[in-house]
Amino acid sequence: MIRPIWLAAASLLVVHAASAGPNEIRKSLCRINNTAQEFNYRVPWLPGQLGGGSGTGWVVKKDRLMTNAHVVSNAKLLTVEKENDPKKYVATVEFIAHDCDLAQLKVEDPDFWKDTKPLDLGPVPEIESSVTVYGYPIGGERMSVTKGIVSRIDFRTYAHSVMDSHLCIQIDAAINPGNSGGPVMQQGKVVGVAFQGLGGADAQNVGYMIPTPVIGHFLKDIEDGHYDRYMDLSIGTFPLLNTAHRRALGLPDDDRGLAVTTVGSASVCAGKLRAGDVLLKIDGLEIQSDGMVQIDGERMQMAEVAERKFKGDKVKFDVWRDKKPVTEEVTFDRAWPYTHQATSYEPPKYVVFGGLLFQPMNRNLIMTYQFVNPRVFHSFAHFIEEEMYKERDEVIVLTALLPDPINTYLEEFREGIVHKVNGTAIRNMKELAAAFAKQADEYVIEFESHGRPLVFQRTDLESARNRIRQRYNVLQEQFLGDEATTEAR
Amino acid sequence: MHRTAFLLALAFLASGIASSAEKLSVVRVNVTTQSWDFHRPWGKRQPLTRRAIGAVLPGNRVLVTADLVANLTYLELENPEGGRKVPASLVAADYEANLALLQTEADSDLLTGAPALQITESGIGDQLSVWQLENNGRLLVTKGPMTTAEISAYPVDGGFLIYRATMQIQGRDSSFTLPVVNNGKLTGILMSYDAQSTNANIIPAPVIQHFLKDVAGGHYAGFPRIGYAFSPTRDPSLRRYAKIPDAVTGGVYITEVLKDSPAAKAGLQKGDVLIRVDDFAVDQDGNFDDAAYGKIPVAHLFNVHHFVGDKVNLQILRAGERKSLDATLEHRAPESYVSDPYIIDRRPRFVIVGGLILQELSRQYLKDFGPDWLRRAPERLIYWDRFQSDLFADGPRKLVFLSRVMPTSATVGYEELNHLLVTKINGVALQSLDDVPKALEKPVDGFHKIEFEEDPKTIYLDAAETQKTERQVQMQYRLPALKFLE
Repeated sequence: MIRPIWLAAASLLVVHAASAGPNEIRKSLCRINNTAQEFNYRVPWLPGQLGGGSGTGWVVKKDRLMTNAHVVSNAKLLTVEKENDPKKYVATVEFIAHDCDLAQLKVEDPDFWKDTKPLDLGPVPEIESSVTVYGYPIGGERMSVTKGIVSRIDFRTYAHSVMDSHLCIQIDAAINPGNSGGPVMQQGKVVGVAFQGLGGADAQNVGYMIPTPVIGHFLKDIEDGHYDRYMDLSIGTFPLLNTAHRRALGLPDDDRGLAVTTVGSASVCAGKLRAGDVLLKIDGLEIQSDGMVQIDGERMQMAEVAERKFKGDKVKFDVWRDKKPVTEEVTFDRAWPYTHQATSYEPPKYVVFGGLLFQPMNRNLIMTYQFVNPRVFHSFAHFIEEEMYKERDEVIVLTALLPDPINTYLEEFREGIVHKVNGTAIRNMKELAAAFAKQADEYVIEFESHGRPLVFQRTDLESARNRIRQRYNVLQEQFLGDEATTEAR
Repeated sequence: MHRTAFLLALAFLASGIASSAEKLSVVRVNVTTQSWDFHRPWGKRQPLTRRAIGAVLPGNRVLVTADLVANLTYLELENPEGGRKVPASLVAADYEANLALLQTEADSDLLTGAPALQITESGIGDQLSVWQLENNGRLLVTKGPMTTAEISAYPVDGGFLIYRATMQIQGRDSSFTLPVVNNGKLTGILMSYDAQSTNANIIPAPVIQHFLKDVAGGHYAGFPRIGYAFSPTRDPSLRRYAKIPDAVTGGVYITEVLKDSPAAKAGLQKGDVLIRVDDFAVDQDGNFDDAAYGKIPVAHLFNVHHFVGDKVNLQILRAGERKSLDATLEHRAPESYVSDPYIIDRRPRFVIVGGLILQELSRQYLKDFGPDWLRRAPERLIYWDRFQSDLFADGPRKLVFLSRVMPTSATVGYEELNHLLVTKINGVALQSLDDVPKALEKPVDGFHKIEFEEDPKTIYLDAAETQKTERQVQMQYRLPALKFLE
């Protein structure tokens, strides 16, 4: 049954894709199998459950493959298969960009690259134009082809990280699990990478692809051997549509200008832009009152201008400040540092002390534990807006107690947010681990809005330490990130 | 309609029996209530009629739960047999203790001959009876043992003593409030019942007696509160940290003292260890030994043993040293909170300016999001309400917020704004909604400048245009008024 469908699809293809017919595209396509290990946020010292899945990859340059970040996340072993080759080749992740769901892979075995052909990147396709999606949906062994038209070009949240939005193209071809990472072609060139769809009763025939400006951005970013992540203005804005609002700010009724409402102290714009400014132009492009600019003939959000920048680039603003025009130049000297709202693909950080498990708050933690303390969720949702980062880099939560005589009366501290240890404010996990490692007769841990401290005697801790480690099989008492791990005390 | 006809027919049958039979100590209570719609603060929701059973007390008065009569519009009492109804009125209601006292019109003889119930306390193991009425006026008695006396949550806030009994109460008409009887005497009022666990939560005699005594005093003062929070001291490390001497076996660690509360005025401080209240020792969990109910939280001493104005003695340890503090108990009115824990029988306050609806945050507003309001109401509003004593210790007195926008020609671009905390209008920092009209009298350069805690931080309205469009907003949305500030 496979063969006739395959041919029918192929005959359609010839019309548009003369330069990369189905036999040609096979040279550029592969199936990726990922054996992944998911992290365990409840028992963070455990290596976690094995899982994984499959997706699609394509040859992006002479000896490199491209796919989605979510296809290769948490990978322990990656294998790739070509259509007419029985062999499974081992691949490794060279660069992974969780914020735009793209990854570049290496395959060491030169045999893999025999008779392969890299695909070229095309432009942003026009609305209503046809595109063809290649891949291995639902885990099939043979290549599948679907066809659709470009329905919409818009900014949209990338589901892999949840926190990031970039340019995204909606097509009406079905994109199913397994299609992820596969090329979407037009006129023989890649115009997108299939990456997510809308399922369920809400929508039908809605697929999304990552367009070439985002792919190109990723490829350029990694040219220096390091992925710097997307640059971001990190400011709050408000459209200036209300005429009274415009008049009060001394602006003419010309549908131009976007109000700046918040410039957090961690923003690259801090010290350059202020709340109350009105942005009139970005890099010479007029900003309309709803925050849109005209790029390549398309109306796009102003953020797209920043999206196309790289670390070290500058952006110039024409600003209306205190009813006078000024110009400001902002340098993108760093990516936004606080990414706790994005899904994390790093091993979870934690510290176990006196049988208490301390973990930094992030999306994975929120999804794992059903916290009832509204403060925990509040600090997750408003960490940036309320500039909580001025006091701490990480919100550290006591997530669990490993029951032991030493902590049997401490249940009330579960879900507490750590404030101080022995009088010193704690900014992050490293400081917490250091405070616990410091010799003291007693350890007084204060929690946010908790009227009493948690107190441990050193002698009690010493007698409990090995007991707790053995009883609960705590393989390692802390993990503080990828840098060298130091044991407490 | 079918049901009414049926009841009338029964009433004929019953009338002959009732004259000869002994009169019951209960009466049907028919209540119509209508609550204000806090999300459309200018209007009331549709009226709701409920039927309950009231307990007849001396002086031709009837006791029910306050929940039943909240936002009352019409109240009548009805013969147990059904049929005869007379209008009645509310003598007093306490929504915190969930009790209300009713009376008939002066010249009514509806309750004449109905024996008044005496009140008695009950103990664990006592056989309690819940009284319901059949349609024909016969008493339906369900019995079950009292299992627990404990401090538990009441509908609006805080905790008071409850009796808990296990019994299988059947579904009957008029069952919203039911008397609970022990040996022919009233021992409580049924507050809630869970058919699955067959647990009945009962407002107990001590709370009822406190309420009735307070009402009898002429000036109703309410149940007092002390105003501190505590942590148990079972943890030996905490006992050592708090310098509790070995000779002291009990005590609780004070974790919070509410501003201006009786505890604060008495000089109680965070970190103190409370070891004794009057003659009662406080144990490590914060309980005292009650003669009737055994170990229950000391809150019961402040709330129920005592009345507003009473003095209580607190024995504490501060850094290991014994001190004696005297507190004068007060009731805390819901209006004195930053976010009122309940607003019943009162209209919500609001001001509409140029289509922007400004209100004051209250838990009532949050509860109007429905039974799952904790999930559905805006997270920030829940957070402010929950941590108000912490977050707003230094003001403002009330949180003024923009609940939503009624779109008009003047609010183009503002339509989507909702649930934003308003900090200033025309430069005036708002302490409550009362400050809004004054602030609006002084526009800056012809504009009203409205500032929020959150984005978009600042918006403007044309002052002259706002005034001109006022009538238009009122007509367009058929609003009875553009503000209510009493």
